[in-house]
Amino acid sequence: MILPQFTYHKAQSVAGAIALHKRYKGKARYLAGGTDLIPLLKLRLSEPAALIDLKGIEELTNVTRRKGFLIIGANVTLFALRNNPIVKEYFPALCESLDATACETLQMRGTIGGNILQDTRCIQYNKSLEWRTARGLCFKMGGKACNVVPNAKACFSNYCSDNAPALITLSAKVKLAGLKGERTVALEKIFSGNGRTPFTIEPGEILAAIIIPLKKTKGVYEKLRVRDSMDYPLVDAAVSVTGNMARVCIGGIGPVPHLYLLKNMNENTVNDAAERAYADAKPVLNTTLSAAYRKKMANTLLKRAIRRVLKEGGR
Amino acid sequence: MKTMKVTIEVNNEKSVLQVRPYETLLETLRERLALTGAKESCGMGACGACTVLVNGIPLRSCLVLTAEVDGAEITTIEGLKKDETLHPLQEAFMEKGAVQCGFCTSGMIMTAKALLDRNKRPTKKEIIRTISSNICRCTGYKKIIEAVEEAGKK
Repeated sequence: MILPQFTYHKAQSVAGAIALHKRYKGKARYLAGGTDLIPLLKLRLSEPAALIDLKGIEELTNVTRRKGFLIIGANVTLFALRNNPIVKEYFPALCESLDATACETLQMRGTIGGNILQDTRCIQYNKSLEWRTARGLCFKMGGKACNVVPNAKACFSNYCSDNAPALITLSAKVKLAGLKGERTVALEKIFSGNGRTPFTIEPGEILAAIIIPLKKTKGVYEKLRVRDSMDYPLVDAAVSVTGNMARVCIGGIGPVPHLYLLKNMNENTVNDAAERAYADAKPVLNTTLSAAYRKKMANTLLKRAIRRVLKEGGR
Repeated sequence: MKTMKVTIEVNNEKSVLQVRPYETLLETLRERLALTGAKESCGMGACGACTVLVNGIPLRSCLVLTAEVDGAEITTIEGLKKDETLHPLQEAFMEKGAVQCGFCTSGMIMTAKALLDRNKRPTKKEIIRTISSNICRCTGYKKIIEAVEEAGKK
């Protein structure tokens, strides 16, 4: 498939990339691994005037320990992170989610920053230009309707990152660098709730690093998919436990992952969280599986994940 | 649109090329360098038929811009044989009958080569895990796995 025309720049520093982005007045996009972006360009779902490659920026490729935190540069590949000894030892939920992301070859190219900022997906949206526009433009294409739910008021596209739910259970924060300087926000706060523009990131802002408190956790990641080798999650559940407290995150349904805190893990609190996950999950028929099944699986995966973490204690 | 000067070393041969900034590595290999071993199948990074090694790492060349790999060493299926001797993986694929229609074969072999380069004797489980990056629509996976196991022993 042929790419649309654009110019290509390789940035040497974060500041340089931001300045370059400004010059294109919102018509440039940042490129990391490209495993999400290039297919979007090929399908003409995005037609930037320029791509600004961030892979040459040295500071984005390091993993460092500092003052009780693990700081992961956004350009660290999923494969490198999966094999990182600290991640293996401290963050089993993240280790499992990295393992479940796409396939090994794509893990070697895809970056953790790109994985977090991947666009939301919908069975009616991620299609060729001719296919998807035959039914009229949907919200995500800039239209005024949803091609899945008649008379819908918003876009129901799904956020399909495997690793963001796991990172949210680990209380991860993201460092964003932009024209107005740097800011650090909790990962769960970067979601807008609107499938059309899923993130609250300002134009030109770069996700520079992911910051995780360096505390040993137990954890697991559970994922529903049709094909085990490389599919996106159709629902997923991550759990990280410290002491008797658990943080559970359900993703893959709608544009926002949902976080649940269990102060005390016992049968009642687990069932209660599973009920809440079931109530919060509002899937529509925009994947290959039925909405009713995915809704049930939000409840099931949450319980399954907690059962496994209690039994195995994570990895 | 202005073209860009890119220097790449493909199969130990240096090439200086003027490429379009929106040109994929797969297009460059197939259309400029006539290396048609890497195939375009899905064009979306899902199937792995276009896998080549870039600085030893298996990448889907349909998702990589040629401009991104300026200065890199690239190995394609055409570069595996040494003089007139085939790579053990190529031999094993023939011996085990791991080639059916052949469209996935070069991608399978390049993915497997990257595995054998970092792990000389992978277990069957490791082979399956790595090979699951690539799709064979003839579904001849069993013989492909056997061939990689065989090549690992050589």
